[in-house]
Amino acid sequence: MFILILFIIMVLASLVSFAFTDRRREYALIATAIFLVATIVYSILRFSTGYGAGGFRSVSVYNLAPSIGIAFSIGVSGFADALLILSGIVIFIAAFIAGKHEFTQTMYSYIMITEVGLYGILISRDFLFFYIFWEVVLIPVYFMVAQYGGRNKDHVSLKFFVYTHIGSVFLLLAIFTVYAYHYDATGVFTFEIGALMQSKYIDMIPTALRYFAFFGFLFAFLVKMPSFPLHSWLPDTYETSPYPGTVILAGGLSLMGGYGLFGILMPIYSSLGTGVLQLLVALGIISLLYFSFTALIQKNLKRMMAFASAGAMGFVTLSFGAGLLEGTKYTASLELAGGMFQIVAHGLIMAMIFTALYFIKMSTGKETTYGLGGIYREVPMLSTFLLAGLLASLGLPGLAGFIGEFSILVGSFAAIGWLILLVILGMIVTASYHIWAAQRSLYGPYNENLGKIADVTPSRFAILMGTFAAIFILGIVPNLIYGILVSYVGGII
Amino acid sequence: MTAAIISLSGAQALVTFTPEIFLGLVGFIILALGTFRIDKRIISWISFGALGISAILVFLLSPVGKSLFYGTFQYSDFGIYFAIVMLLSGMLISYPATRAIKSKSEVFYATLLFVSVGMIFAAFSYNIITLFVAFESVSIGTYVLASFGKSRRNLEGTIKYFFTGTIATAFILFGASFFFLQTGTFDLQVLKSAPPTPELLISLVFLIIGFGFKLAIFPMHQWALDAYDGTENSISAYLAAGSKVLAFLVILKIFLVGFSSDFRDVSYLFIILSILTMTYGNVAALSQNNLKRLLAYSSIAQAGYLILVLAVVGFVGNTNSAVVDVAVAAGMFYALVYVFMKGGAFITLNLVKKDNVMISDISGLAKKSPATAVSFAVMLLALAGVPITGGFFAKYLLFLSLIEGNLWWLAIIAILNSAISVFYYFRIILYMFGKDPISGEPFDMSTSARVPIYASALITVALSVVVIWWPSLISMANGLFG
Repeated sequence: MFILILFIIMVLASLVSFAFTDRRREYALIATAIFLVATIVYSILRFSTGYGAGGFRSVSVYNLAPSIGIAFSIGVSGFADALLILSGIVIFIAAFIAGKHEFTQTMYSYIMITEVGLYGILISRDFLFFYIFWEVVLIPVYFMVAQYGGRNKDHVSLKFFVYTHIGSVFLLLAIFTVYAYHYDATGVFTFEIGALMQSKYIDMIPTALRYFAFFGFLFAFLVKMPSFPLHSWLPDTYETSPYPGTVILAGGLSLMGGYGLFGILMPIYSSLGTGVLQLLVALGIISLLYFSFTALIQKNLKRMMAFASAGAMGFVTLSFGAGLLEGTKYTASLELAGGMFQIVAHGLIMAMIFTALYFIKMSTGKETTYGLGGIYREVPMLSTFLLAGLLASLGLPGLAGFIGEFSILVGSFAAIGWLILLVILGMIVTASYHIWAAQRSLYGPYNENLGKIADVTPSRFAILMGTFAAIFILGIVPNLIYGILVSYVGGII
Repeated sequence: MTAAIISLSGAQALVTFTPEIFLGLVGFIILALGTFRIDKRIISWISFGALGISAILVFLLSPVGKSLFYGTFQYSDFGIYFAIVMLLSGMLISYPATRAIKSKSEVFYATLLFVSVGMIFAAFSYNIITLFVAFESVSIGTYVLASFGKSRRNLEGTIKYFFTGTIATAFILFGASFFFLQTGTFDLQVLKSAPPTPELLISLVFLIIGFGFKLAIFPMHQWALDAYDGTENSISAYLAAGSKVLAFLVILKIFLVGFSSDFRDVSYLFIILSILTMTYGNVAALSQNNLKRLLAYSSIAQAGYLILVLAVVGFVGNTNSAVVDVAVAAGMFYALVYVFMKGGAFITLNLVKKDNVMISDISGLAKKSPATAVSFAVMLLALAGVPITGGFFAKYLLFLSLIEGNLWWLAIIAILNSAISVFYYFRIILYMFGKDPISGEPFDMSTSARVPIYASALITVALSVVVIWWPSLISMANGLFG
């Protein structure tokens, strides 16, 4: 009930934001902060003691059109809860760094609507509303890019929307397929995710259509991740989008793909078949390798980090495929929980990196490795934060990124054997360009052309420090959410 | 179903025709008012009210389940629904149309009411000849409406519309006579089990050409571009919304009821036509810079989605199947939403003072008037089928029926088409929100320009709630078959 009320307040608050002609930023900051705190309080109350097998908290169903199975049905799993906190944090950071002078009032409304969409996706247990919120997220993000973006914003925003929209409509076809065959099997129309996503019904769908449905789901989810062949919207959109938008894209939208895999598809793992899972493993490894090699040659730090983000999500795809291939082994739950942990860690880390980059861009006007150079001398604080983010991103032990990657590596070895060497190669390349970027832009001789630049202000320090603290705490005490994730996996497998 | 026909006596028939008689009377009163130089606003409100009252009368007085004149007119919820939808489209344009009319407003509004009479007749008619007469009365009325306006461009568009319309009429008559040759009657519900004969196939082809002209489906679409482009915005809205819904309804009746013995051919024909129409409309719209022609192409594409209903029903073949009801109900819902999203989009062009509206003319609308920009964006999003608008549910219920009817591949084609369409709808949005306004005062922000836009955007969003009554739409859908 609590989460439903919170969600309704969120919807109303985002609508009310349009009424503010002035001070919309303050309003958005206060609102998103309250939502974040409320979500954390909710999580502590509901999930600190763990929860039963396959369980959902805050379940409530409101039938709208029972004869065709449309209901507004919500429920929060442990995994969804972790992502709720993540999206709360990411949205708050985005609202925080969206400065008054760079953006008009509408930007803050867009940010708040994005939050509504993300929360809606995570709490919906009804496919129709799941889909609606899935699309709702796209619209404000599209407007952010189209209105405030940089170079080529028209072209890039349209490409982003169409690309992800095609993914969405295939998702819709997949949902309809499952829905129609569930009706054939049971005589009941329902869009309830829990009812539809059961292997016993999925297995009854004729083979060709079953694979069509899997294709639809995977296409939509992998576009959002993004995974290897479906990524071409990513570098352009990340680069062109204004920084608050990039933070949302990296932290919020990639979360949707991960939630799709682990939250929607995982319950029917036994129907997926080895072929599909092996394909996912392959896509994960290729993503990791391809994106890290591509990142290696980027000169623009924002674009490089876009590839780094996609590479890190490669781990998630890999963990989903490899973890399910292992079946019931102990390593499977380690691997799957690691994959989910990786989604959370990746969101936080990318939010921090892009925030630090944004502050650097604001003080220097540059975001390329060659345009910067040695800025540690002038802005030690900011440089340290960027370095911390980069180190977290390459998986330094003690920070959140390490936990996910480590458990995925350990788990994958059982499933894919010596192919693990490819993953390790990817990690080495990842580490090398992170270090190279830090060395080239932060250290070495100062680029005197930049002149005098200012270090972080107290408020910027606070937001960077807060994000870093979250990354650090999750790195030291991963069990804050790792335990919930393991029991989530245990409930399904 | 046909067995349940209960013929009504003469006095009851008179009661049944009250809405039509009422509209006709008000039409003549308006004509008479013209001699007293009454302000056109007042006349527009009178016709708005008359259309509204007749919609209520249709709802109250139609004897559901009964028939008139040996089954020529049959009353069902299905017919009432479409009659009300078409009356709503007349109401939608009655206020904004005041802008287009410089003189003789009484003629315009009287014609609008007479056209609406034809539409109500068409909604209940189950006989090719009465359908044809109703259809023609609407066509002739819309020729008159289309010629209203300020420039000679109107006349050019109207002439094109008139000539193609007349040719279409000839095709319809040919088709109807071949239908008569085969069946010996003009009654649509007679042919139940006869195998397809050459006469029937010829009749099928001629009728689809004739009625396809009005619906502007692919090879018969060319007039629509010039007619929509040439006429005043409010009248384009009426041609694209009300008149198109009528054509859709007539096509549903003729091909799904009249040709129910030959569903295989109906299905093939409409599958091919729908693919061609959708794809052509969407692809051609991509390269348009003229906003009105872009909307015209988009309405061709929308006609392609609409006739997917016939493809599904023909493919399933059994009119008692649940899938058929879902498909027809999806078409019904689509028609309702379509009136407001497409009609509203055309009416929005009233904002631009120029005659020949290019996309760049609308740039910076969001800075000048955020509310109108958001309203227009809502309608465009609805046309693109993006959620939380009625357009989303309309389009996706249609695709749902395709999937339930086992036409997977057609659903994929339709959905890819809908993804293509996003490009040009979003281009308009991009211009409104992303560009700076052109210098001067390009926009007309008077009440008669803005209020109808807000209203149609609001209704477009509100219609997504109607999906709750979806089951009752499904139960109405079977009324199509009498």
